[in-house]
Amino acid sequence: MRKLYLGVFFIVLCCLAAAGCAPQKMYYFGNYSNTLYSFEKNQNGESLLKHKQEIETVITESELRNLPVPPGIYAELGYLNLKSNNSKEAIRLFQSESQLYPESRHLMDRLIQSAKSKNDSSAKESANEDMR
Amino acid sequence: MKKYFCSIFGILAILLLSACAPKMSTKLAEFPMMYEERPASILILPPINESTAADAKEYYSTTIQEPLAFAGYYTFPYPITSEILKMEGIYDTELLVNLPLSKFKEYFGADAVLFTTIKKWDLSYMIIASTLTVSIDCKLKSTTSNQILWKYTGTVVVDLSGGNAGGGLAGLIVKVIVAAVQSAAADYAPYARQANYRALTSMPYGKYHSEHNKDQQVQFVDQTPEANKTNK
Repeated sequence: MRKLYLGVFFIVLCCLAAAGCAPQKMYYFGNYSNTLYSFEKNQNGESLLKHKQEIETVITESELRNLPVPPGIYAELGYLNLKSNNSKEAIRLFQSESQLYPESRHLMDRLIQSAKSKNDSSAKESANEDMR
Repeated sequence: MKKYFCSIFGILAILLLSACAPKMSTKLAEFPMMYEERPASILILPPINESTAADAKEYYSTTIQEPLAFAGYYTFPYPITSEILKMEGIYDTELLVNLPLSKFKEYFGADAVLFTTIKKWDLSYMIIASTLTVSIDCKLKSTTSNQILWKYTGTVVVDLSGGNAGGGLAGLIVKVIVAAVQSAAADYAPYARQANYRALTSMPYGKYHSEHNKDQQVQFVDQTPEANKTNK
């Protein structure tokens, strides 16, 4: 009986310790790591879509809770947009990341450059003057 | 004469006691370079996989970003940076270990890079219990001075069956009761993340954390085996 009590006590302690390790107030990450993990595990359209939706949820939830969007989140969504040829939105998101986290500016500028050149070339292809 | 014996006994007792207590160390004493250089941004490099699980690298890499962000650092989005590194022909972090890291400053603007090595990633099935062992080795290196700013070596043993399986003494033992053993057994990621949170308890907080530059005297249990300390 005493052993059982000790066991329960130990489990409660472990739970407390685990909970203490992950401060909840700083950022809202939601299921981000899990959907990223699922995508790494099964790289297909479905898991990618789920991960993209989760990133969008992280952004909206962070805004709702008045928290800063976690590092890299805007950038990752921008990158996904860039890959699906949505350069304008990609540039907007890269700029958001750069404004929120000045440390990212160097890389974001690089990505904005490549998004712009992608935008230009696709604009020329479709002969769309508005894209410039 | 009696007094003399008494004091010897006293000293002996103190020595004995101090050997029993877990060795504590402060963040400042262990990692002074972190407070000197104060890196703000960290680039996570693809993990070096020394374990027998071929897919450990991909899985483990998805579990580092979140804990690092919570420690107060700007973490470059791993899915982007790993792809850029691949395009640049860097598949194996092993090749970078002894190279100057200034390139990462130039290309990404990173203050520091994180090298992680997966030493063990084992799922062992036994008749009455199954355990998962995740052993990791982390080194944070400066892109300006090339020095090691912070490091950690640790093991997390997870008991997947909730039985009474013991764990190694050297590492941290975490027992997690998992209700559905079969379905959970294959999914290592939550445990790897847990291992990462453990690892990061000794890391000084970064600029986005409210305790940044206030945690010099925070103590933690020094887990570095003595043997590892000498070969820095």
